[in-house]
Amino acid sequence: MAAAAAMAALSRRLRGALRLAGARPGRAAAGLPGLTPNLFHKNLAKVEPPHQLKFLHTTLSQNGLEEFFDDPKNWGEKTVKSGDAWNIKQLRGKSSEDLHKLWYVLLKEKNMLLTLEQESKRQQKPMPSPERLAKVQKSMKNIDLVVKERETALRLLQTGHEKPVPGEWRNDFLGRTYWYTYKEWPIPWYLNKKYKKRKFFYLPHVNHFIRLRHEKYLRARVRRQNLEKTRQKVLQIKFPHLAVNSQSQ
Amino acid sequence: MAAALPGRAAAMAAGGRRAVYPLFQLGGPQLRIFRPNFFMLAVRPGVPQPEDTVQFRVSMEMTKVDIKNYLEKIYNVPVAAVRTRIQYGANNKRNHKNQRVKKPDYKVAYVQLGKGQTFQFPNLFPEKEQDEEAQSFDEFRKKYLEKEQQIQKGDPRRGGVPDWFGL
Repeated sequence: MAAAAAMAALSRRLRGALRLAGARPGRAAAGLPGLTPNLFHKNLAKVEPPHQLKFLHTTLSQNGLEEFFDDPKNWGEKTVKSGDAWNIKQLRGKSSEDLHKLWYVLLKEKNMLLTLEQESKRQQKPMPSPERLAKVQKSMKNIDLVVKERETALRLLQTGHEKPVPGEWRNDFLGRTYWYTYKEWPIPWYLNKKYKKRKFFYLPHVNHFIRLRHEKYLRARVRRQNLEKTRQKVLQIKFPHLAVNSQSQ
Repeated sequence: MAAALPGRAAAMAAGGRRAVYPLFQLGGPQLRIFRPNFFMLAVRPGVPQPEDTVQFRVSMEMTKVDIKNYLEKIYNVPVAAVRTRIQYGANNKRNHKNQRVKKPDYKVAYVQLGKGQTFQFPNLFPEKEQDEEAQSFDEFRKKYLEKEQQIQKGDPRRGGVPDWFGL
């Protein structure tokens, strides 16, 4: 995880430098003394970006089933060092392709950690550095958020729909309103017995009970509000000096 | 969609995002490994398995085809055959209110590797020589425990008479 994250960070930095260099070839050599390596601006003219990045492998080598287990060097250790989780700001700056690749890296890492966790439970030994699992899950959640953001933006541009899956407000047979999400069905709805059995309407005799339900809700709300009011009053009587202070400030 | 993902709760447990896949109809493609949140962990088999068989615990929503695709495309492992079963989580334990407590069910997959590959579950917790710090800590802990035990036993000169009995 740590190694992969570090390599990813390095590649990001390199790519950033590349982009800058591509936009302003004249200033790249002079403007970025710390970021760009010397070798880089020397052969800038003859080498294309994909060529440059070829020697940089951010993913681990494909080892098959060994990827379900940690590095053999870490076996039997009590703690394993790891970097921080990817936060959402870092991920927003990445391309969708990179996010996709990173997802698989994190997925493998998560599987590895789950394997380790299960094995440690089985051997009745403490798992080395269990916080890694939370970090990976946090990173994956953040990737999901970023991808969702981008999907929403694209959908709004292209179709104007706010939701990924269309739906509508419907009533059930007790007159309760809820959001019905449309689904894919293998057969049309008028042939579908199960769908036709569902009632999306209510009969007039239900009106009375809808009113009662509403009444119950209102009573509960009033009761809650009154309780809160009394609580405030009691507090003001108990601590009058504090009440004055809070009003004056 | 509804047919592809039976349990909302299971999907929530797997990681929050509930992926929506197109409805599977006979002969359709079964590609559900695009940015999946399926997990898959290798476990040490309780019952001895053949050399080419690996045992996994997988997400409940994964099918045999999914498992094969997952291993072949993501992990680059040749797969010959996949068998699955669902392990019933025990519910014979009771909590302090005497209600039954259910352990979650999980899906177990037995994957036979292709191309004559074999697999042996490694020992992830080999015995390592302790460094000085850990050793000294262990010694300190041992001493402390002995001292505590001595305190618990009480004064030997009292001859086994309890503390509350006298001065």
